[in-house]
Amino acid sequence: MPETLSLLAEGFASALTWPHLAWALAGVTLGTAVGVLPGIGPALTVALLLPVTFSLDPVSAFIMFGGIYYGAMYGGSTTSILINSPGETASIVTAIDGHMMARQGRASAALTTAAIGSFVAGTVATVALTFTAPVLASVALRFGPAEYFALTMVAFTTVSVLLGASVARGVFSLFLGLALGLVGIDQLTGNARFSFGIPQLLDGIDVMILVIGLFAVGETLYQAWRQGRDEEHVIALHDFTGMSRQDWRRSWKPWLRGTAIGFPLGVLPCGGSVIPTMVSYMVERRLSARPEEFGHGAIEGVAGPEAANNAAAAGVLVPLLTLGLPSSATAAVLLTAFQQYGLQPGPLLFSTRPDLVWTLIASLYIGNAMLLVLNLPLAPLWARVMLVPRALLFGSILVLASVGAYSLNRSLLDVALLYVVGGIGCGMRILDIPLVPAVLGLILGPLAEQQFRRALAISQGDYSVFVTRPIAASLLLCAALVLVAPLVFRRGQGAAAS
Amino acid sequence: MRTVRLLLAALILASSSSAAAEPLQHLRLIAPAAPGGGWDQTARAMQAVLQAAGIVHTSSVENIPGAAGTIGLARFSSGERGNGDVVMLSGLIMLGAVVTHQSPVTLREVTPLARLTGEFEVIVVPSASPFRSLADLVTAFRANPESISWGGGSAGGTDQILAGLFADAVGVAPSRVNYIAYSGGGESLSAILGGQVSVGINGLAELAPQIDAGTVRALAVSSGIRLPGLDVPTLREQGVDVEIENWRSVVAPPGVSAAERERLEQIIAAMVASSQWRETMAKYRWSDRYLAGPAFARFMATEEARVQGILARLGSGETASSSGPVGRYPLFVLVGVVVSAAFSAGGMIRSRARAARMGAAEHGAGAGWRGAALVATAAGVDLLLLDRAGFVIASTALFWVTARAFDDAHPVRDAVCAAAMSVGAYVVFARLLQLSLPAGVLAGWL
Repeated sequence: MPETLSLLAEGFASALTWPHLAWALAGVTLGTAVGVLPGIGPALTVALLLPVTFSLDPVSAFIMFGGIYYGAMYGGSTTSILINSPGETASIVTAIDGHMMARQGRASAALTTAAIGSFVAGTVATVALTFTAPVLASVALRFGPAEYFALTMVAFTTVSVLLGASVARGVFSLFLGLALGLVGIDQLTGNARFSFGIPQLLDGIDVMILVIGLFAVGETLYQAWRQGRDEEHVIALHDFTGMSRQDWRRSWKPWLRGTAIGFPLGVLPCGGSVIPTMVSYMVERRLSARPEEFGHGAIEGVAGPEAANNAAAAGVLVPLLTLGLPSSATAAVLLTAFQQYGLQPGPLLFSTRPDLVWTLIASLYIGNAMLLVLNLPLAPLWARVMLVPRALLFGSILVLASVGAYSLNRSLLDVALLYVVGGIGCGMRILDIPLVPAVLGLILGPLAEQQFRRALAISQGDYSVFVTRPIAASLLLCAALVLVAPLVFRRGQGAAAS
Repeated sequence: MRTVRLLLAALILASSSSAAAEPLQHLRLIAPAAPGGGWDQTARAMQAVLQAAGIVHTSSVENIPGAAGTIGLARFSSGERGNGDVVMLSGLIMLGAVVTHQSPVTLREVTPLARLTGEFEVIVVPSASPFRSLADLVTAFRANPESISWGGGSAGGTDQILAGLFADAVGVAPSRVNYIAYSGGGESLSAILGGQVSVGINGLAELAPQIDAGTVRALAVSSGIRLPGLDVPTLREQGVDVEIENWRSVVAPPGVSAAERERLEQIIAAMVASSQWRETMAKYRWSDRYLAGPAFARFMATEEARVQGILARLGSGETASSSGPVGRYPLFVLVGVVVSAAFSAGGMIRSRARAARMGAAEHGAGAGWRGAALVATAAGVDLLLLDRAGFVIASTALFWVTARAFDDAHPVRDAVCAAAMSVGAYVVFARLLQLSLPAGVLAGWL
């Protein structure tokens, strides 16, 4: 431990030089901008910047990449909250209550709690990364397909808090997502399913198309539809003050809980950032004294998930730095960047290049602080985006959405698919069918199926593997409890009342 | 070897000087993989070397990921036909993917240029495994083939091919290989490290740090002779007659002229001869496997036959586990969609009826659809114009029509903002971030 601290101190000394700070600033600014834009994510940005950084020394380049990576987690919440158009899968859950807060004139508070939550989570998670990385990495290795399947089952239970008024419609949304997830190549056998002979569909329907389509495009269509229908206008949003005392009181525990949930889940390569944010949302709702507020602007629903997604981003770095295992697309690009400099992340990286690793970790702390300083004053400024005339706002959203879709594969088909999905999203909004379960279904369905079949393949058809392996069994038990508990609890309440 | 290479380069230069195409300013490299994947790495390495050595003025890398390269292959062969300024990365994995995914486009349609690098495969076991040598593995494998689970990359890839060839060589029917496909090296590596699978197959570059650290035990390497700096016996040494390497190559689109093809071959030859390329290969631990011209075309044909043969016997598309819940899950999902749709529809009809009974007034039903229809029109216009007229024009139209749907009082303001937004987006994404948006008719001005 003292050795770690002294190494970290050296890392700080190296990171706190003016050139390195400048690179950190460049990285966080770019990352925030990238996070705001729909469809352009940190993975693509880092990949595009790789040639630019050929001439840089590795430490500066990695400081910048680290800034981009963390910055994207901050930026993603902005569009979620302001215009109900999450730019990344990490910010989908934030949109649920965040946008409602914005419509109630509390955009500034929502953005502020997101920024502070992100900072708290980023700092705490980086501390955890510093001291527990090797231990966590070895625990993560014990997760096999059976455990991952059980984890996806836990994630599925989170849908229960998203079903909204009508259970049937929520379940339909989930199955719709699952059905869309069927399209593409079956991982285990390489056979194509439901691709109808269209080569672009071989890879399945990209989740970003679904997210941007359902949320950004769907929202635009829906608002256009409502424009003529009823005269209810957007509430005057003159309240640009930040968080009230009550907001602070309601936020600080979700920040910490979100971090505790997000970091370990981020270490596991499973479902990206959706699972940590969903689990955080569900936990907040279950623990809240006012669960009926969720879905209508509960600040916990923003504070928790935003903390969770930043903590998960730090978690992803654990297997990357300790074992050289990328567990997300961005991590894979960072790995390439490492290799470009002749470094091989792996068990030996900490011992062969401690200067690089500790400077990187130190710059993550610094980047985090910079992001808070950048984003806090910006929150009320961003909130003023709500005052832009809707015509111009939605026009811009569609242009940016089309760029996001096109950038995935440079294919017109993706843009066409985007608009079709947007139409479906609009229809779902009109019919009061919740959108988030569909996204969950698309992400979790293929994952759960793949892990299930993989577990069976390894055990040669032995189903008991799901209950005999301790981690898998306990996760499945968790999932069952989560589903059953509210029913039991409610019946108990009913009995007590009568 | 180097002499041969230089001679070849000189020959190409000499033979092409008579009917040479103009020197290439900008070379486009297409990596049929996501950023961070093997082909992407190679493409970016090539880009760096080409620019550092001044072989081309500028170059760019485009990613077309999906389906182990077959999506990139399909788009390359149809969309880049006749273009002499673009090349695509390819390799053994693509040969396998073409078979496994039953791709309508094969590598026979593209113009082979050269094989560049090779990477050998290593068979490893977790450090806690009971198999201390390849002989142990072979014994257990022969006794009960299905009990050994093999973890490696995607179905039809080099890892699975090696597993099949291995089985064949030790007398086990390839169809009995219990191969577990993972998407990408990271996933399969964590499966090996965690002891989730009995045996792992992966490329040397990925496994080298783990072998050095002792977290996995290497049983055999797939080269013909031992590799320098790696204390692992070959398969052949240990009595398994298999040799395979994961080679990567570059290909040109179909329909390029002879002059253009020679120009591309010259560029590749010059790159391979440069010192920067040698440094790059050492850095990534790739082997220099440069082979161009008709010899390469012959090599591709032989490899294609070998891959087709072994994948057929592996039951490409059928693993030991596939009889089982494959068909049940899609069925479950489709039934679920129908059933939940029925329930939802029922609920909606009931609530609609209840509202009607309570006399709720219907709002101006037509007005809402006008707005939505306008936005839909905007989308349609965007799709029509995007490829034909370019991004800027299409987005201006998209923006303007959408704005009209919300507020038709300020057409001029909307038009100005539309143009500004579109041009701004184009400059930021296509020029600054190099994201490649269609320039269309305005290509000259932008």
